[in-house]
Amino acid sequence: MGLQQKIEAKEFVILAEMEPPKGADVSRMVKNAQKVKGMVDAFVVPEMSNAVMRMSSLGGAMILKSKGLETVMQLNCRDRNRLALQADLLAANGCGISNVMVVKGEDPGLGDHHQARGVYDLDLPELLAAIDGLQQGRDMAGIELNGAPEFLVGSTVEAGARDKSPELILDDINRLGQAGTRFFITPPLFDLAAIEPVWKRVNREKTTVIPTVLLLKSLGMARYIARNVNHTFIPDTLIERIQGAPDKVRECIEIASETIRTLKKEGFGGVQIATIGWEDKLPEILKRI
Amino acid sequence: MIVADKKPIEEIIEELGAHEKILILGCNECVTVCEAGGKKEVGILASALRMYFLNQERDVKIDEETLQRQCDHEYLEEIRDKVDQYDAIVSIACGVGVQFTAEKYFSTPVYPGVNTCFMGATEERGLWTERCQGCGQCILARTGGICPVSRCAKRVLNGPCGGSSDGKCEINKEVICAWQLIVERLKALDRFDDYEELSPLKDWSTDRAGGPRKVVREDVQP
Ligand code: SF4
Ligand code: SF4
Repeated sequence: MGLQQKIEAKEFVILAEMEPPKGADVSRMVKNAQKVKGMVDAFVVPEMSNAVMRMSSLGGAMILKSKGLETVMQLNCRDRNRLALQADLLAANGCGISNVMVVKGEDPGLGDHHQARGVYDLDLPELLAAIDGLQQGRDMAGIELNGAPEFLVGSTVEAGARDKSPELILDDINRLGQAGTRFFITPPLFDLAAIEPVWKRVNREKTTVIPTVLLLKSLGMARYIARNVNHTFIPDTLIERIQGAPDKVRECIEIASETIRTLKKEGFGGVQIATIGWEDKLPEILKRI
Repeated sequence: MIVADKKPIEEIIEELGAHEKILILGCNECVTVCEAGGKKEVGILASALRMYFLNQERDVKIDEETLQRQCDHEYLEEIRDKVDQYDAIVSIACGVGVQFTAEKYFSTPVYPGVNTCFMGATEERGLWTERCQGCGQCILARTGGICPVSRCAKRVLNGPCGGSSDGKCEINKEVICAWQLIVERLKALDRFDDYEELSPLKDWSTDRAGGPRKVVREDVQP
């Protein structure tokens, strides 16, 4: 069953983030993805997250697709204007990529090319409307297309972020949902309690919420996120647990697997596993769920 | 100066909705020069609105005021005593003035009465043209005093592009190619050699990349 069918059937989906390389050598990305073929429903290919230049999501997604792997292509508002966004959507669909995820994209000032100009010609709702228009056979100028693409569209929502009010999040979900978003990926979640205010009130029939499960790599990383990343809440007990573990990496892998099991039990639509550079740990995480 | 253009009166009327006590607030600086938001325009807009509301048989009070500047605390304070008499302000200063007024009088709705367009010059009465986009890293020294950032349609820094023809820009036969002007000026200054040099990669972080900008001058701070 493909990602779209699984989401429609309300089955728990497993997405794995797969960063394309900073360079032209795709062997590692392909190897890591192939290792978990059959265990993952689709690979989410980020579009230069944190404004760090690397291979495009379209390129990465096409390469994985050519290996028989299902992908979710990301599109950000930062790097392209409405012409290029629509053109890449058509290109993606023409190459058989039918899952897209729209994101705003961090400001170039935060990345490794901080002198670059951000584009932000379209905002998320406008991009979603453009995708909807393309699917109806017209571009943003109203001109008829020679063949309309079809997409499963996802986006992100800050559910579980400790600095966001649940009302605003629910509002976002409604607005983006009405604009055609079928699944929502949240920031990293370490504690169910953080997402509960949204989860309790969201229309679960209509909305597929997919929390991100981030693999912690060390005690230092956990502490850093807990202290400095506003939207991610890591409970002290979790930090103590890593601190007390004889094999910290193993413990972090276990925490990720455990979180996935919990989210599945709670009825979430799925998870997105983010391993940022440790994609080779995916099999271990997935084995334990 | 900052060049603004009048908003259609229908748009202002729509902004105003059901407000009944309205202050039209002008500015004596740039928008006066470009004849969009000075004392004269305050009067014209106020009369037009009065006529409109009269025709609608609506009792709406419209007052007029023009400040020296709307982008300075000092002058904006002059209306503090009477702001409470109004349930809305239409500012016909540039976007800076509209925002500064709104920040200062937080609970009074402030609506823009002009479209703020660009930084430009008065070529002749009734004709203003763009000269600068405030990119924060001025390169005029290299381009013969003519700005490709604001005057070249593609913002190319090593022009002209292939669309330049007979000294005109490809977007419109009426528009002079900025790079044509740059080349002519460099020649006139006997600096044509400069044209051969490639322009270094532009740092847009002083432009809008990196969010809203500020200038801090400790030497003049109190
Ligand atoms: S180079 Fe930048 S600062 Fe200089 S005139 Fe052009 S836009 Fe203005
Ligand atoms: S024709 Fe000249 S002004 Fe127009 S885009 Fe090309 S270089 Fe710029």
